Amino acid sequence: MAKESNQAISRKPESAMKHILSFVLMIAFTAASFFLVMSDAVPSGWVIPLLLIFAVVQVFLQLFTFMHLDQKGSAYYTIFIIFGIFVAVISAVGILLM
Amino acid sequence: MATLIVLLVLVLFLAAIFTGGYNRQFLERMRNSRTWDWLTTVDHKKIGILYLMGGLLFFLIGGLEAIFMRLQLFAPGNDLFVGRTFNELLTMHGTTMIFLAAMPLIFAIMNAVVPLQIGARDVAFPFLNALGFWLFFFGGVLLNLSWIFGGAPDAGWTSYTGLALNQYSPGPGVDFYVLGLQIAGIGTLIGGLNFIVTIINMRAPGMTFLRLPLFTWTAFVTSGLVLFAFPAFTVALLLLMFDRLFGSNFFDHAMGGSTVIWEHLFWIFGHPEVYIVILPAFGIMSDVISTFSKKRLFGYNSMVFATVLIGFLGFMVWVHHMFTVGLGAISNSVFAVATMAIAVPTGIKVFNWLFTMWGGEIQFKTPMLWAVGFIPTFVIGGMTGVMLALPPADYQYQDSYFVVAHFHYVLVGGTVFGLFAGIYYWWPKMFGKMLNESLGKWHFWTFLIGFHLTFFPQHFLGLFGMPRRVFTYQTNVGLERLNEISTIGVAGMLIGTIFFLVNIIYTLRKGPKAEADAWGLGRTLEWSIPSPPPEYNFAQTPLVRGFDALWVEKEAGNKTMTPAEPLGSIHMPSPSYIPIMMSLGFFIAGFGFIVRGIPAAVFGLIIVFAALFLRSFDYDRGYHVEPEDPEKGGKE
Ligand code: HEM
Ligand SMILES: [Cu+2]
Repeated sequence: MAKESNQAISRKPESAMKHILSFVLMIAFTAASFFLVMSDAVPSGWVIPLLLIFAVVQVFLQLFTFMHLDQKGSAYYTIFIIFGIFVAVISAVGILLM
Repeated sequence: MATLIVLLVLVLFLAAIFTGGYNRQFLERMRNSRTWDWLTTVDHKKIGILYLMGGLLFFLIGGLEAIFMRLQLFAPGNDLFVGRTFNELLTMHGTTMIFLAAMPLIFAIMNAVVPLQIGARDVAFPFLNALGFWLFFFGGVLLNLSWIFGGAPDAGWTSYTGLALNQYSPGPGVDFYVLGLQIAGIGTLIGGLNFIVTIINMRAPGMTFLRLPLFTWTAFVTSGLVLFAFPAFTVALLLLMFDRLFGSNFFDHAMGGSTVIWEHLFWIFGHPEVYIVILPAFGIMSDVISTFSKKRLFGYNSMVFATVLIGFLGFMVWVHHMFTVGLGAISNSVFAVATMAIAVPTGIKVFNWLFTMWGGEIQFKTPMLWAVGFIPTFVIGGMTGVMLALPPADYQYQDSYFVVAHFHYVLVGGTVFGLFAGIYYWWPKMFGKMLNESLGKWHFWTFLIGFHLTFFPQHFLGLFGMPRRVFTYQTNVGLERLNEISTIGVAGMLIGTIFFLVNIIYTLRKGPKAEADAWGLGRTLEWSIPSPPPEYNFAQTPLVRGFDALWVEKEAGNKTMTPAEPLGSIHMPSPSYIPIMMSLGFFIAGFGFIVRGIPAAVFGLIIVFAALFLRSFDYDRGYHVEPEDPEKGGKE
């Protein structure tokens, strides 16, 4: 087991640039979200849809750069991420519908 | 700010006095001192002991609060602790027991045992492990500082925002709840993550998932629940923090917010949380019962299945805490059915324990007593749970002492008995000393009797109409006698706890040394190495050849495990002061926010970022040790 996990860690080296780039992007999206809410730059009906779009983009950035969903890993990642999405969906549906 | 600087100088002075003054060797001496060793340790065994001490400390504080409450309720119209003070006691008791006693004690046993049970030399992320502990500890201290700085939180451990917003609970009390738990919660989340990765990645060769001891399995599922449940609480606390500190209106209905959102978020976390604290107890019971019955665990596969199923269903039942909110008949029915479904896997477990004992050579050592006491007690709690799960009936029980009786039967009779069983069972492994058996038995019997005396009457108090969370009741409504009995019972639990403390102190000084296989009945890997284990645990990683790995070898006539690798130098992680520094930063920041001292908050956050920075550019790769050969005069 110990050996296997070492191999899993030493897949191909990743560039630091990619991480920094997506980190900067995520901060930018967060700042933009705050700006949207605080300023009157966009009509108020647009605020929530835009926020949702920003959020989804951030989720993908997070999943692919920091959680390595783009690499072929073990099934564990997938299991845990699917279960996480499942819990999130149940909770959101529960709160919104009830 | 000034206070902080004064404190800092004071600490430096004290350090200087206790270590013999400042001079060139000061840093050197500090590095070599025992205290520094413990403050910077990343060894899972030491962190386990730290969690144990922290958890026990808060267990005593929470217990004291409970005693105060029961004293107040001893007689009708009593005026010992009334009004706000009583609310503070009740809030702090619940919060302390769940977050600062049960959780860390579980992490204590997980830290002490899981790596050993899977044949690993450490957890996957030793640094994070230390960070998790220190965040828990500083979060807990912050929460308890509320007693001195302007009053404790008083809105219940559930902190419903109809009670917790500024206009309903003025003063800093609830802010301490919010920030203290936020900090402790980050620590818990980190800890959970660490154990998931450890159990997936660090198993010894041959230790497949279906050979994991049951305690490790429950630790795994519990960690998964922590990972998915705590974020809901983090979000809820963050929103409440904004409402209270920065004037937002998430929960204020007068401004278009909704208090029901808090209830949802809290219970989406809260119900999984009760399973987080009970599953490890199930695991401990399974290991203890099979060991002291000298039998393989009955129905291992179904036990694993039941554990996973309970974890899974645990996320779909939270509304059973909100039946009376008025969400409608359909959602109440759906969640009622889901709730009752959980009783099925729970029942599977109970039967498997009974069948494990059936026909076994049972030895009633202290851990086994706790396990046997646990089964009927927990079953009573489970039954009242199913009663509460019926919405029409719950309209009657809700917010009465019946609920209090239910959750104490499962939390004390389940979790606390489980933790005591685990502590007695693995104490020799953690400390290398056996705990005294007769003191242990006194502890068990006084605690068991006291417990039932306290909580059994509370079922009836509830049915007779006594609401929970009230500080008094009237004469001549039939509540006096049962309340009296309930308070008297507390003495039993108090005496039991004192026996336990005496036992600890006595055995740490005089106790007999523990063998590697301390009970002589060990089935799992932790009993194949010395007690306490050397810092690297396994001189050679063992080769696992079946479920109950050590027992398999014993059956085959071998005294020890077959090694899976030659003897060689072992890589160890270096100790680090960064976890405690970062947690201190969070602590200062949290305190700053609470007293609305933004400079102090910023100062704390700067410490946090400095710690992050140091850690990011820390290229320390650890060091190597040469293990002692167990066959040539090693410490076995
Ligand atoms: C058979 C399994 C169980 C069922 C069906 C069940 C059901 C319920 C229900 C319906 C309530 C809400 C009562 C009300 O507020 O009116 C409740 C409360 C509670 N349960 Fe359970 N329960 C079960 C097991 C557990 C376990 C294992 C624990 C913890 C170890 C636990 C801890 C609690 C706590 C702490 C509360 C009270 C929360 C509060 O309002 O402060 N329960 N239970
Ligand atoms: Cu529940």
